This record gives sequence, structure tokens and C-alpha cells, in this order.
Amino acid sequence: MPDTSSKAGVNPDGTIDRARAKRMLNPFDRYALQKALEIKRDSGAEVTCVAMGPPPAVEVLIEAFEHGADYGILLTDKRLAASDTLATAYALHKVVHYLGDFDVILTGLQTTDGDTAQVGPQIAERLNIPQITYCEHLSISDRILNGQRIVEGGNQEIEVHLPVLITVANSATPLDYKRFADVAAVKEFLRHPEERDKRIRTVSLDTIGANPNRTGLLGSPTVVGKTWKIGDVGGSCIVFKGESIEREVDELMERLRTDGRGVEELINA
Amino acid sequence: MPNPHNVAVVAEQFHGSLQQITSELIGAARFLSEKLGTGVSCFLLGHEITQLAERLVHQGADEVIVIDAPQLKEYATLTYRRAVIGILEHLGTPPQIVLMGSTTIGRDLAPRIAAYLETGLTADCTEFDIGDYEHKGKADPSKTGNFKNILYAIRPSFGESLKARILGPWKNPQMATARIGVVQALPLDTSRKGKIYNISVNFKQEDLRIKVLKTVRDVSVSVNLTEAKVIVSGGYGLGEPEGFEVVRDLASVFKNSVVGASRRAVDSNWIGYAHQVGQTGKTVRPDIYIALGISGAIQHRVGMANSKLIIAVNKDADAPILKFAHYGIVGDLYQVAPLLKKALIKMAKQKY
Repeated sequence: MPDTSSKAGVNPDGTIDRARAKRMLNPFDRYALQKALEIKRDSGAEVTCVAMGPPPAVEVLIEAFEHGADYGILLTDKRLAASDTLATAYALHKVVHYLGDFDVILTGLQTTDGDTAQVGPQIAERLNIPQITYCEHLSISDRILNGQRIVEGGNQEIEVHLPVLITVANSATPLDYKRFADVAAVKEFLRHPEERDKRIRTVSLDTIGANPNRTGLLGSPTVVGKTWKIGDVGGSCIVFKGESIEREVDELMERLRTDGRGVEELINA
Repeated sequence: MPNPHNVAVVAEQFHGSLQQITSELIGAARFLSEKLGTGVSCFLLGHEITQLAERLVHQGADEVIVIDAPQLKEYATLTYRRAVIGILEHLGTPPQIVLMGSTTIGRDLAPRIAAYLETGLTADCTEFDIGDYEHKGKADPSKTGNFKNILYAIRPSFGESLKARILGPWKNPQMATARIGVVQALPLDTSRKGKIYNISVNFKQEDLRIKVLKTVRDVSVSVNLTEAKVIVSGGYGLGEPEGFEVVRDLASVFKNSVVGASRRAVDSNWIGYAHQVGQTGKTVRPDIYIALGISGAIQHRVGMANSKLIIAVNKDADAPILKFAHYGIVGDLYQVAPLLKKALIKMAKQKY
């Protein structure tokens, strides 16, 4: 996804030029990657990262390698452009089929650009497997996964048999996944084309047997009809600043007493 | 026979109590259905919940389609998925529009239903409307067309500080989830009459693959950001996790108040995710929102900008929040918060 914290690729009108924008691993996916690396540590599982995007998106896979992922697969194809969540999930589930066997698919809760949280569950639907979304904690034994997911005002404990898809909440383990990192080793294998090819595979829609009519614009049931800038309400704020904090608070209180908003009704008397 | 052309709402209940989002969704559905000249249908799923159907009618539904089954006692993705699919199959013709809540249930269930139906779904909408759309289809000529009376699902597109109108004119149902607290519920009308249909669904073995061992949801002690009247939030400007003591202390002054937080404070592990307000947390609209040490980046702003009264305390006079709050104090929150607390208590005492 584009790095929206970087100025590169941001048009003057605030929209993103995805071709020029700097690429980054979706911050939410870092929690998913960390969970995957924890499962690897505890069970000896292999971690394969899947990315979908233009060829430079391989950077994201390399970032994942630097943190301890074993294999990377990049799905890149011009016909994927403008895929909505349904089309993206279709393409990604074909990658999963192409890879063959799996036990756990971890995804970030959502992306920070689209923010829909839909792709994970839609992959699970297409694969006909159970899912645990908003998952904070999980443990696996005897091919049974116990997960705890967030619900409004609490949590839910869930038990499922593998395989399962998990979307990882960003309240999961704090983000210190660099502890798994082996940056030097990654640099080393990237230098050797043969070794690199063993670890990173680049595939197209044809390689994975995906129907191009079900991806990209053609495969997307939604379209962005119109966008507009969120109006700036700047200038309406009454700011108190002055020689002393006491004075500022007094001035604010005077406002609150007289502005008819009824703040006093909400105070414990 | 239920009317398949109605605007449909998937109701949310937890252990027999309807959730706030449901009345808001019904409010949105009424608005849309009046423009379309149809009615509102609610899907009510759960166990021993049939008595809630009448309340949904009072909230604005014309029809309620109920599936009451022991398998639906606790929310689980696959049983609820089967139930919604069961209702849609029962209707025969898909509804034009299906709305669900942008909650941990709606965001879990809606994408699966949409993928099953191969239809479009727009997440986290803040507004809805009905209108026309002409698809020119330069790059996808097969989809060209002039579409009348379709759903406008409007949502902020955050990284880009934009609002976007998303359309799915090619297939029904057009699906969307709505954020809590952004669409108005209608006033309760206990004289409203509606039709209630009980239907059943056959659960398959594969629907029972998710076992819910326990749901803990203690509303009295938990963070209930979306229903609180007052939210006092802390941000990175607190400087340390202990800063939330000051936030809690100020919140304690108010009735029905909870503690909120910015993403940076949550990511720094100073407080749990359940407190997070903003793009990746909860969208809130309390009567009073007090922001302590929160700069007010767009990601936070979209989650709280609709609060009725926003008071911000920030050291930095240039902080964006001091542009869009109603009142702002420039100063050290550690000095301001205790003074503010004292002054608020004094104000309330003077009143009584």
C-alpha cells in the first residue's frame, strides 16, 4: 500500500498517485506477521507472506524476510488494477490454492488506506474455512486453535479446528517483532539469484489460474462514484491562551456557564 | 410472505438486548426506503429473542423476519452466516439494499455474506442516499449503463482526507455497513404496527465449526465509547502511561463518562485498544469530548469530529485540534486538567 506518511506520490489535491507513492507494509499487517512469527517459533511452522501489487511491492516481502518470514510470493498483474475488496479476495484466495496446503492464514485487521476489514473474511468465505476476526490472543495445540476476539465492551473465546483465517487486532502483542529479525542473512540470500528465486516467487493471474474477469475493474462489483475533500471547519475554535493557566481555565468556564450547552447537567453533583 | 423489495437491516442483539446500532440502521433504512417507495425489513437472529421483533417495528421496521434457534444463542460467524443466507433464500428475490452495523459482528459477517453473494459491500459508511449513476465504462465497457435509484454509500477515505461515494449498481443486494453513532435513529413509536415472520433454517455440520466458549461483555465496567455521554481522551502528549490517571480523574467528574485514547497512546501500550477513538478505533459522538494531549490528526478527527462539544488541551498552539475543537486551552495538561476538574465541580455545585 502507499505510504501516506511520506510526501512522495501525494498529489497537490491530496489524492494518492499509487505508482509514485513510496510503498510500505500495511501497519496492521505487522501485527499479523508478528503472530505468524510467534506461531513459527512455537511450532516450527513455515511462514509464507503473500503480497499483491506492482513489481516494486517486493520491497514489502523483503521487509517481511528481514523480520523472519521464510517465503514470499508476489502476485503482480496489470489486470488486478482497481480491484475492490471482493476482487482482491478472489485473487488472493487463488494464490492460497496455488500454494496448496496451509493451516493458518493471518491477515491484518484492515489496511490503513482502504480501512474496510473485508478482504480477510472474504478470503475465508471463498476458501470455505472458519475465521476469527479482531483476534487478540491465540494458541494452537492438536490442530485446534483457541482464539480470543474483541467484541464491543468485552471479548469472546473461540475454538476452531485448523485450517482457519485470523485477522489480528492491533491490540495484540505489542509491536516488537524485530526480535525475530535476521537482516544480515536476508541481505546475503538476496545477493544470490538462485537463493532469491527459491525464497521469492513472482506470479501472475495466469500462473495461479485466476479468471481475469473476476479481478480488477471487471471483477469489482463496486465503483468509486465521486470523491470530495472533507470540509475544513478551521477557524471556529475559541482558543484560550494567556499569561496563566488559571486565567485560561476561568475564561473557559465562563464560556461553558453561558453558552447554553448544558455541560453542568453532565457533572456528578 | 415478506416483501423482498424492502430495504433490509440485519439487527444486532446481545443476549436479548438490541444494540444501539440497530435503531440507527433502521433510521437510515427508513430514509432510503421512503425515497425508493418501499418499506424496511429487519432480520432478527438469536435464541429466545422473538419478543424483540415488536420493538424493531416501534423503531421503524415494517417487517421483521425472525430466526430463533439455539445455534444462534451466541454470535458465531458461520451460524449467523447461514441464518442470513437462509433469510435471503426464503425471500427469493434479493433485497435492493442490505445494511449492517460496522461493529465487531457486522464487520465479521457482512464481508462473508457479500462474498457468498458475489455482490458489493461498502464498509464504515457515515451517510446514505439514493440517486442515479451513469457508468461510462471506458476501461470496462461491459459494465456501461445508466442506473436509476441506486444506493449512495458514503464513507470517509482516510489516508486521503476525502469523502467517497461508493456505488454498486450492477447487482442486488447493494450492501453497506454503517458506523455507530453517525446515523440518526427515529423516535420510538409504540403505536407502529408491522408484520412479523418466523422462519427456520437448517444448519449444516460445516456451520458449526466455530465453537464459542465464552463471551464476556460487562457493559457496566467495560469501555463503552459509543454510548457514553462524555469522553475524556488522552494522547501521546501525556508522555507516559501514568498520564491516564489524570485522564481518568477528570472523567470521574462526569456522569456516564469513559476514557478514550488516541492511536499513538494505544500503540505505545499505555492503554488498551478498547479505548481507541479514531480511524482505526471507534467513531464516537458524545455530548462532551475532552482531548488531553491529542494533536488531532485526521485519523483521530474522523472518529470524534461529530461530538457535540469538543474541548482540547494542548501545549502546542499550532496543534490541528485547536482549529476544529469548540474550545481550546493552550497549556500543560498536567496543570490544566486538575484545575478544570475543580472548576467543573464548583460549577455543578453552584447550580444545585
